[in-house]
Amino acid sequence: MTAPQSIHTGSLDVLGGEVLLDVSHVSMGYGDGEHEKRILEDLNLKVGHSEFVSIVGPSGVGKTTLLRGLSGLLPPKRGTVSVAGQTITGPHPDIAAVFQDYSRSLMPWMTTRENVAFPLQGQGVGRRERNRRAEESLEEVGLSGQGDKYPWEMSGGMQQRVAIARALAYHAKVLLMDEPFASVDAQTRFDLEDLVVNLREALGVTIVLVTHDVDEAIYLADRVIVIAEKPATVVDVIETGFGTVRDQVDTKADPRFQDARGRILTRLRKA
Amino acid sequence: MTTTHTRAPSAETKAPRRSALLQRDWSLLAQRLGALGIILALWQAAVLTGLLPSITPTVPEVTLGLWTAVTSTSFWTALGQTLSAATAGWIISCVLGVFLGLLIGPLRWLDRSTSVTVEFGRAFPTIALMPVILLLLGATTSMQITMVVLSALWPVLVQSILGARRLDPGIADTVRIYRIPRLLWFRRVLLPSALPFVTTGVRIAASISILAAVGIEVLTQVPGIGRMITLAQEAQRWDLAFAYLFFAGLFGWTVTALLARAESSLLAWNRQASG
Ligand SMILES: Nc1ncnc2c1ncn2[C@@H]1O[C@H](COP(=O)(O)OP(=O)(O)O)[C@@H](O)[C@H]1O
Ligand SMILES: [Mg+2]
Repeated sequence: MTAPQSIHTGSLDVLGGEVLLDVSHVSMGYGDGEHEKRILEDLNLKVGHSEFVSIVGPSGVGKTTLLRGLSGLLPPKRGTVSVAGQTITGPHPDIAAVFQDYSRSLMPWMTTRENVAFPLQGQGVGRRERNRRAEESLEEVGLSGQGDKYPWEMSGGMQQRVAIARALAYHAKVLLMDEPFASVDAQTRFDLEDLVVNLREALGVTIVLVTHDVDEAIYLADRVIVIAEKPATVVDVIETGFGTVRDQVDTKADPRFQDARGRILTRLRKA
Repeated sequence: MTTTHTRAPSAETKAPRRSALLQRDWSLLAQRLGALGIILALWQAAVLTGLLPSITPTVPEVTLGLWTAVTSTSFWTALGQTLSAATAGWIISCVLGVFLGLLIGPLRWLDRSTSVTVEFGRAFPTIALMPVILLLLGATTSMQITMVVLSALWPVLVQSILGARRLDPGIADTVRIYRIPRLLWFRRVLLPSALPFVTTGVRIAASISILAAVGIEVLTQVPGIGRMITLAQEAQRWDLAFAYLFFAGLFGWTVTALLARAESSLLAWNRQASG
């Protein structure tokens, strides 16, 4: 078998199969009318089922803004975001999110289990089913039996696992992640990256992750979308071709990884 | 509340800390009793040397008065009347204050438009309203409860507004992403998040409630401890009057201390999460 040893310029469309998340001509900004500060200009992107897409760009380019748009927290100034063919007008049951600041997204007055089960309570799922699904998700992120702990009794890495478990228990089709591993130490970060890679493989969730870390973006993704400039637009798309399995040493030593890295860093330096 | 019980710390860490705490408790108690003893001694000396007006009862007289009080049924009836009016007013203040505060706090426009009213209400000398309320409701228990509410509502309201304002934006986003329904959000997110502030208001309101309930009784014909103080004064029974005063203070203090205890065990997560 001859694996392709060079990276490909990717497309903003999915390679084959169904489109799950469709970002169409999205422009975003803050303020209205004359006072509008345009952050993102005419962004287009299609993400397929079970695909892992990274969006990488320098700090302040508008990654968080974009993710707020995709999650329905902040409506785009122009364009539409749709999931499974449905245009979203606000937070949507098919979309879950994990933010950078885990310590601020978990509720300190709830146990880990209650935190994970809480969105299900909102959907009217009964207590037993809620707890079962919470336990299942905690197991998937490697926290089985830790449901009675409070978030503040856990390390940062564990807290972020809880936030991921909460998203999984919600059974959303798309998982949005905003610099999810930026606040943990290097080893924990590698562990969490591999956890997310494995979850994608095991559960088939679709993941869109934004980060300023080029290595992380390449390591995790099937496709890396590079955004830059003011207002931000897509300046490059790279197909990594790593498949669904990763290894912190081997994958990062892969010539394709190095190629992609060089290409993106050069492109971002220009911006 | 099922959401806020504490996890027991592990046995190793708890044992030494507890005995150290106990020791501190005892020495603190000794110091406080000492301070009380000095005050009583000074009082006695002041009465004996004629520094205080001659009608002031001596310490033994007041002690005897305390005994007379606790052995009479009329005292306990009066105490019950005062405490039930104070409690009723306090509960109404808490429910109303928390509800309004948590409603106003998160809504920026409502918060801005009501802030002057709230500040005014807080600073307003409620006692000045008494003639009007008295005219409307007469010297009745409902007048007394109304006055208690008008006095005790403000700290709960102000603290609840402050508490609701401090909801973490990360949690606010999470609640929106997962489409948590309004009522569940109120009960399981906003209320617990505001609770560290709310409990302070609730505690202050408790002592105000007792003060107001007694004060109303002193000033009007409403039955209770305050009324007994007035009656004792009119009958020149200064020993009894002082004994009742002492009880009123003691109850206010006990209630506040108990609430502070309850508060610190209810809010273990707050101390842990922020420190
Ligand atoms: N609420 C806001 N109001 C106005 N400007 C904002 C707001 N949030 C972010 N911005 C601005 O938008 C730009 C992009 O921010 P952000 O999306 O957080 O970037 P990134 O996540 O890529 O670091 C920044 O210049 C930031 O100052
Ligand atoms: Mg950001």
